[in-house]
Amino acid sequence: MSDEAVRMTTNGASRSFSPAPLDRSRGLGDFVPAPDEDVLVCRCEEVTKGDIRRAVHDGMYTMTEVRRYLRVGMGLCQGQSCTKLVRRIMAAELGVSPAALDAETSRAPMRPVEMRVLGNEEAAGGADAR
Amino acid sequence: MNRHDLIVIGAGPSGLSAAIEAAHAGMDVVVFDENARPGGQLFKQIHKFFGSKEHHAKVRGFRIGDELLKEADAAGVRVELDSSVLGLYPDREVVVRHGDEVFHAKGDAVLVATGASENTLGFPGWTLPGVIGAGAAQTMMNLHGVRPGDRVLMLGSGNVGLVVGFQLLQAGCEVVGVVDAAPRVGGYGVHAAKLARCGVPFYLSHTIVSAEGSDHVTGVTIGEVDRSWQIVPGTERHFDVDTICVAVGLSPMSQLLDMAGCDMVDDPKRGGLVPVCDESGATSVAGIFASGDVSGIEEASSAMIEGRISGAAIADYLGYLEHEGETRRVGELEGSLDALRQGMFAPKNRGTVPERTEEGCPVSMNLLEHGFLSDDEVLAYPGVTHAKGVHAVIECSQNIPCNPCQDACRKGCISIGKNITSLPVVVGDAACVACGMCVASCPGQAIFLVDEDAGDGFATVTLPYEFLPVPSVGTRGRGLSRSGEEICDAVVESVRCVSAFDHTNLLTMRVPEDCAMRARFFRPAPADADEEAVS
Amino acid sequence: MTDTRTEGVEALGSTADVIVVGAGVIGCATAYNLALRGRSVVVLERDESIGNGGSSRNGGGVRQSGRDARELPLAMYAVEHLWPSLSEELGADVEYVKRGNLRLGKTEHHLEVLRGLAKTGREHGLDMRMLSTDEVRELNPFLSDEVIGASWCPTDGHANPLRTTLAFYRRARELGVRFVTGVDVLGVRTVRGRARQVVTSAGVFEGDEVVLAAGLGTRRLAASVGIDVPMRGLLIEALVTEAEPRMFPQMLGTADADFYGHQTEHGSFVFGGDSGLEESNGYAGGVPTASITAPAICRSIMKYVPRLADAKIVRTWAGWEDECADGVPVISTVDEVPGLTLACAFTGHGFGISPIVGRLVAELCCGEKTTLDVTAFRYDRFRAWA
Repeated sequence: MSDEAVRMTTNGASRSFSPAPLDRSRGLGDFVPAPDEDVLVCRCEEVTKGDIRRAVHDGMYTMTEVRRYLRVGMGLCQGQSCTKLVRRIMAAELGVSPAALDAETSRAPMRPVEMRVLGNEEAAGGADAR
Repeated sequence: MNRHDLIVIGAGPSGLSAAIEAAHAGMDVVVFDENARPGGQLFKQIHKFFGSKEHHAKVRGFRIGDELLKEADAAGVRVELDSSVLGLYPDREVVVRHGDEVFHAKGDAVLVATGASENTLGFPGWTLPGVIGAGAAQTMMNLHGVRPGDRVLMLGSGNVGLVVGFQLLQAGCEVVGVVDAAPRVGGYGVHAAKLARCGVPFYLSHTIVSAEGSDHVTGVTIGEVDRSWQIVPGTERHFDVDTICVAVGLSPMSQLLDMAGCDMVDDPKRGGLVPVCDESGATSVAGIFASGDVSGIEEASSAMIEGRISGAAIADYLGYLEHEGETRRVGELEGSLDALRQGMFAPKNRGTVPERTEEGCPVSMNLLEHGFLSDDEVLAYPGVTHAKGVHAVIECSQNIPCNPCQDACRKGCISIGKNITSLPVVVGDAACVACGMCVASCPGQAIFLVDEDAGDGFATVTLPYEFLPVPSVGTRGRGLSRSGEEICDAVVESVRCVSAFDHTNLLTMRVPEDCAMRARFFRPAPADADEEAVS
Repeated sequence: MTDTRTEGVEALGSTADVIVVGAGVIGCATAYNLALRGRSVVVLERDESIGNGGSSRNGGGVRQSGRDARELPLAMYAVEHLWPSLSEELGADVEYVKRGNLRLGKTEHHLEVLRGLAKTGREHGLDMRMLSTDEVRELNPFLSDEVIGASWCPTDGHANPLRTTLAFYRRARELGVRFVTGVDVLGVRTVRGRARQVVTSAGVFEGDEVVLAAGLGTRRLAASVGIDVPMRGLLIEALVTEAEPRMFPQMLGTADADFYGHQTEHGSFVFGGDSGLEESNGYAGGVPTASITAPAICRSIMKYVPRLADAKIVRTWAGWEDECADGVPVISTVDEVPGLTLACAFTGHGFGISPIVGRLVAELCCGEKTTLDVTAFRYDRFRAWA
């Protein structure tokens, strides 16, 4: 774990820098269940703390991977409320600082929007909408 | 396509300030905000702001909002409400949802001033109805006039937790305690002291073990945490509550900047993912700027100045300002911003606890650990003196950028000096006329007028009182200590409510002589207490 | 590691039987199949995350219909033999659903196009036929009146590409494959004429075999040993809705190719499509979505499935396809550079065939007889017009 710790605890590294190498063959030790495994973390997708910890032990070492593996933060709120919690749980499991984990990717739309609305761009934008 | 000199995203304090500044320079500015009302969080802020005159000190937040809207209107800023920016695309193009349509607009510059969202904390039961964010509680109380609950536990002792905790009391809630996992109160000591003297206990180094209830919150259990943030067995403590208010910090809503490809940095000191930007808010993408909480969590006063700086810088960037003028304007604003970023709570000092004030006074550990100054500690500060007759007692013990008390006293009794973070000094040879302006002007409600010997073994204490109903003269009750303990009988001797006090009533109570320097709050006898209502 | 060229290089580098470059679904499936054969494997990935390229940006189609005749056998084999048991095999639900593909037509011209596709499919043994207006609506009552017919391939389906990629990764890792992410692969070097060394920002990795499965990046890496694959980047976009009540299980496409997509196991709809201006998108670098694309996809969808008008879109994204000059991938060893195997140029339809491609690449690496004939995917098939 020590090498990972060193490379991942670099606080405040800008995202535009390329990531440092991470050898994923090193294990994290055995998964030890904690008493608060059942605490809901992502309420949109009903993902618990235990789910996240287990995913890390399954090899999901980045926020991106955990999100795709568990759908955590992919629901209606798009991670607005749970991202920091997920980050903290993952960082604790990996033994690194939360800020050292990959940042969430921001994608449009910033708020959920109905197809009929998103598709309705002529009226408001006028003929010069494009 | 719609094209503007400047598109501002977010009509909060920072966005509006930037828009005003840019419009003054002659730019075509449009502001998009997803809400039905402009002003962002300002209209939820019923407390008086800190700072100095230029920062609207001692003015209540919502009034600052009103002023800002008027100023924006006069400057010709167009604010488009109910307009949600869905994305920030290449070439500074935004897609905006308004009603059942979307439209596209481009700006020669785009300022993202989207503010922040509240953090959550995942304890067992946190998803139960009754667990609410402090911001949500504020919205309910201060915008909609709805009391969030009857018995509330506040989680978080930062300024948001403390300010909202006090507002909950004002709304008539019982606040059973302020809980924080940190070993020290995070917010201003004066905010904590307001709660403590009303009898709200502080549980530092504590966190929520679980919220209880099946379909809504009916109780909460807290426990002490050790250094590794684990609950110490046997320290659990239960409260019957119907509401848990969570004030565990804010996260910048920086997604639009990230989407636009701005270099981002995860900076815990600034609250999370923020854009890399210079002093004017310019990001790594040409023409895209950021200001206010979205570029680092601070408070509304600095957000407004940041906005003005960005507005001026954008005007300069697009050639609307003579460079010299811009430099001067930005210089002024930066000085003003710098003043706000001084003192013990300055962003640069986050996470540190000084042992002494700038003046060399010891920092009160009681205040940091329990929310109030002990009777002994309070004597160490230059605002606390003994004198004959009525005199001001200023229980201000931390270096924060704030000085309205100095301006409030026309008799020169109070001195802060050039450095606005200095502790106020009560000047010995000046004559207090007991006008009370200092009491009402202190945003921290930390100033009292005390007559230590009012005759017949009694003393009088005049305190700021922002609760309803206002007790009438002659009302009997109890005098409360700084820790909220009932220490003596007290009678209301006078109540002053003049417009210059802006709803901070000055309640003078008569207490036994030996309580002159100890009694700091008045609690009416129960019959009266029943009638307390929303402030 | 006594080779003087590796001296002084940072110690992360190491030796394995096979070095795989690229941890997308193809690289992960290859590593898994190599591990099954007892080979020691190191997978090198430039990105911080596994499967962060096309593997996480495609529509999740497990489709045989509409494929090039050369590719069809791979898709059919995967659907018949690999996809049905993949979740069980990998120990993770990849959300595979085999409920058919409807390719919709709104005009007589569309139907003509569809008839052609159905004919090609049938010629290669694929169960594929045309459906009348009534038959289409019976299968999918949510389609608009504009739809006048469709081609139908009942054995097509869809799966979750994110989970599939991570499931291959997870199983491969469990089998001992060493994954190193966040490592910039600079090139391949030969030793005595054989591809052997993979030079990276974190040191040199040596293998008896080297597999390049790095999407578009493969072109640059292959060039380091003098091999070229004619492909280019094409930006595609997709969107996903919030979870909706279950509506229909088929994968949808159109003769006009204006959108494609399906409802996922989770309930959300995933749709891909374009604005028609993709050639000029993406000039800013990275993977930016274009402001005009998602609205265009929405309008297309609503013409075919009006009921979705109120479905809320929660996310849009873009991704690069490694579009091959002739539209089918390169899955091939390289005569001039023994030890090198290429798996690239999947042209936006690599996901559905990834389970079989992983096996084929492993077989090529190990010198085994391949399960299917792969000569159509040779790297040296490209010829000038005249």
